[in-house]
This record gives sequence, structure tokens and C-alpha cells, in this order.
Amino acid sequence: MEEQMTSIYKNNLYSKSDEFEQILKYLDLDLSNILKKIPLLTRKRIEEIRLRIGRPLAINYDGKDLFLKPNGAITENIYDAYIVNEKNIRNTFQLISNYSVYAFEEELRNGFITVNGGHRIGITGKVLYRNNNIYTIKEISSLNIRIAREKKGVSDKIIKYVIKKPNTIYNTLIVSPPQCGKTTLLRDLIRNLSNGIPRLNFYGLKIGVVDERTEIAGIYKGYPQNDVGFRTDVLDSCRKFEGMMLLLRSMSPNIIATDELGEEKDIVAIHQALKAGVKIISTVHGESINDLLTRPYLKQILKENIFERIIILSNRKGVGTVEDIMDGKTYKSIIKKEV
Amino acid sequence: MLVVRLITSITIIFSCTFIGYYLANRYNKRFINLIKLQNCIQLLETEIVYCSTPLPEALENVYNKCDKSVSFIFKDLRNLLVDNKNLNVYEAFSYQTENLSKKLYLDFQDIEILMSLGRVLGISDREDQQKHFKLVLMQLENCQKDAEEKKQVNEKLFKNLGVLTGLAIVILLF
Repeated sequence: MEEQMTSIYKNNLYSKSDEFEQILKYLDLDLSNILKKIPLLTRKRIEEIRLRIGRPLAINYDGKDLFLKPNGAITENIYDAYIVNEKNIRNTFQLISNYSVYAFEEELRNGFITVNGGHRIGITGKVLYRNNNIYTIKEISSLNIRIAREKKGVSDKIIKYVIKKPNTIYNTLIVSPPQCGKTTLLRDLIRNLSNGIPRLNFYGLKIGVVDERTEIAGIYKGYPQNDVGFRTDVLDSCRKFEGMMLLLRSMSPNIIATDELGEEKDIVAIHQALKAGVKIISTVHGESINDLLTRPYLKQILKENIFERIIILSNRKGVGTVEDIMDGKTYKSIIKKEV
Repeated sequence: MLVVRLITSITIIFSCTFIGYYLANRYNKRFINLIKLQNCIQLLETEIVYCSTPLPEALENVYNKCDKSVSFIFKDLRNLLVDNKNLNVYEAFSYQTENLSKKLYLDFQDIEILMSLGRVLGISDREDQQKHFKLVLMQLENCQKDAEEKKQVNEKLFKNLGVLTGLAIVILLF
């Protein structure tokens, strides 16, 4: 059981090695020359690259915020770090947007652009309003490049808690603080449930994914950049409520998967899905069940006992530590019960 | 001796005529270049404003769909952008204009208009891009009118001037 509790992501041999190379293509020449010098093993542990005008080039490495020297070495000392200048940001933004701001109007309004490989790049700057809505962002000041790491097989160990016999699943909610691998786990669950698992006599189900932030499948020009399985339909950059309703009407899914619940409308959509006999897998920001019970809409869902399985993640033993898997009715741990 | 004189005279007349025609032709070529350039830019506008095609792809499409005698500049621009990470669109344009005056028959003012497009291409939303395109196309149309006027006035003039200069030189020499 101890094995179950340790990080499911460690020693993962399936992760792609060229994600970093993909990112380098989108960086300004000066920056990519610095990042090129980072050794291969270090590269794999970098989660974010952060560019802020006039401030040190920072990376998020193993959950820590560190800086990069001009020679590519990692440092904690701000004064040794390479200082990002305006040209770096401008050129990088130009490459990310492929010289075409007009092609990313909608993305800019949401504050991020997804590039080839499913990597999400967050953008801040001066926001312009029109008709009370964010119209665009100009004078870009910070870029946050989140390296999307598809980790196949991370859900293999916990999938048996999600599957319900015969050949269906429990409504599952993944609870986790930021950067503990909730989207990664969700994506791999989707892949497994979509492909089917012969080992458990589980035949694949049709899955509809509402990928509001292009994080789960990372669609780029119609192709999912991450493996989301054979029986998966992805509705890209669609709002959760509209997306779930649309999938219910049009794609006859067995399961609807979506990221980061929390709005009132999401709950309406979930009720609709349940009425249609569709199962739900979703994630939510949070530390524990008690934390969720303080949130207005989530509290309601939890009280209705809609979710039959609740998976709690943390980064206590590395990213993606499975803290607990609970029964949604009794809030009792299933893992511990079986021990 | 007479034969030599005759050959020299004919050579002088022919070459002067040729120079005259060449100079006259420039006016015609500029006029045609401007029309084709406008077509290209109109297509680029459609690609950007209505199809939201990313710039490198849009430039390539313009090259493929328009008259290659002018649209090659868009292909070159695309290659410059794709090959050089540190070049922005305006820099690529200014780099390109150096060859532009050699390969095409455009005036200084025509190139200046193209450069003004380079300054704004791709850096704003579609609505804004459309306004810029409108302006550039209007300016190019003015240039086209100008080219047409100059063509009508100068084309005949230079052709005649070439022949007459040749004749004059021959008369003066002999």
C-alpha cells in the first residue's frame, strides 16, 4: 500500500523527451540559447519558464522558483541571473503568436495561447476593455510557459477504484492544489477509460471532453497533442456549461470529462448529464474535502453525493502523490479500507 | 568609308531607340506592378481579416494564388520570417525592400507604402488590420493613378525621344 501512496509520477519512463525542444522553438534566440545549455536531466524536471520584463529569467523546478544564469546554470541568487529584456518578450510573443496577433484574438482575451505540443503560455500586460469585456492585452509584460508533460500510465494504479462493474465508472472528482498533476491524471484516466483495459476486463467507453483551456487534449490544428484515447471527442476552448450541453446533444458520450469545476452553471450541466445517464469525471482546486465544503457551489454538489469517488492529490512525495481515494457518500477512504 | 558611316549611324539610331523604349517601358511596368501588387494585398487582406490565417501561411497563399512576377516578394518575406527567429515583420519588410527596387519597377513612394504595411502587419486584431489594409490599398490606388498618368505622358515621349536623339546624333556627327 505504501507504494500506492508514493508519487505515481516518479520514474515515469513514458514521458516524451522532446517537449523542451518544442518549447525552445517558441523562444527568443537569446533565451533559447541560454535554455539550450540546461542538461537533459534537469530539463525534464522544469515545469514552468517565466519571463518578466526587467526581471530575472525564472523557472519552476521541482516545485521551487529558481533563476537561470546566462550560462544556463540554475541559481538561487537573483544577482547572477539573466535579466529578461523587452526584446526577449517581444520576440517570444511574436513567435508564440506566429507573427499574427489577429489569429489569437480570442486566446488573448482568455489570457493564454496554446502552442504545438499542448503547452500553455500565459500572458499578462495592459488589458484593454471594450463593452465591459476584456478586449485584448497589449504591452505584454510577463509570459509564463507551462510545459505540458503527458505522462502515460499515471492512472494505471488507481483506475480500478474508478471502474464500476459491469463496464461503467463511478462519477469521479479529482481534488488537488495547483501543480500537483490533476490535469495530467485526468488526461490519463480519459485515455485509459477510452481505450479500455483488457487486464480489468474493461471495454472502452465513449468520452466527450470539454477542454476549456486546451490543456487536456491540447488540440493543435485539429490534432490532439496528447493521447486521449481512441473513443474520445474533444470540444476545444469551449466553456464548460455550453460544452457539456453540446456534447450531450450531439455526441452521445458515456462519460463527460472536464477540468476545474466551480461555477454555478457547471452544476446545472452536471445535473443535465446525470439525467441523461452520463458519467462525469472532473477536477477541482482544493486541499481536502473540508476545504471544498466551504465553497458555495461545490458544497452543493458534494452534499448531493453526485461524485461517488473523490481522489485527493498533493505534492507531499513529489508531484502527483495520491493522498487518498474516498467514497463520495461516506467520505471514507477506500484505499485504507482495503489494506 | 560610306559603309562604315552607315553601320555606325544605324547602330547609334538603334541603341538610342532601344534606350528610349526601355525608359518608356519602365512607366508601363510600374503601372502593371502596382496593379498586381494591389491584387496581392487584397488577397492578403482576405486571408488575414476573414480567414484569420497565421501570417507565414497567409503570405505563402498569396504567393501561390497571385501573379508570381510580383507575389514572389511575399514568398521571400515568409522565408525570411520563418528562417530568422529574431526578425520582426517590419525588419523583414525593410530587408526585403532592398531587393524590391531592383527586381520590381516600383518608385520610392510605392515602397514606402509597402513599408507602412510592414509596420502594422500582424500586430493587432482583425478589425484594426482591416483599417490598415484599407488605407494601404487606397494609397496604392493613388500610386496606380499617378503611374497611369506618368505612363500616358512619358511613354510616347521617351519612345520618340529615343529615336529622335539617335537621329540628331547621327546628323551632328556626319
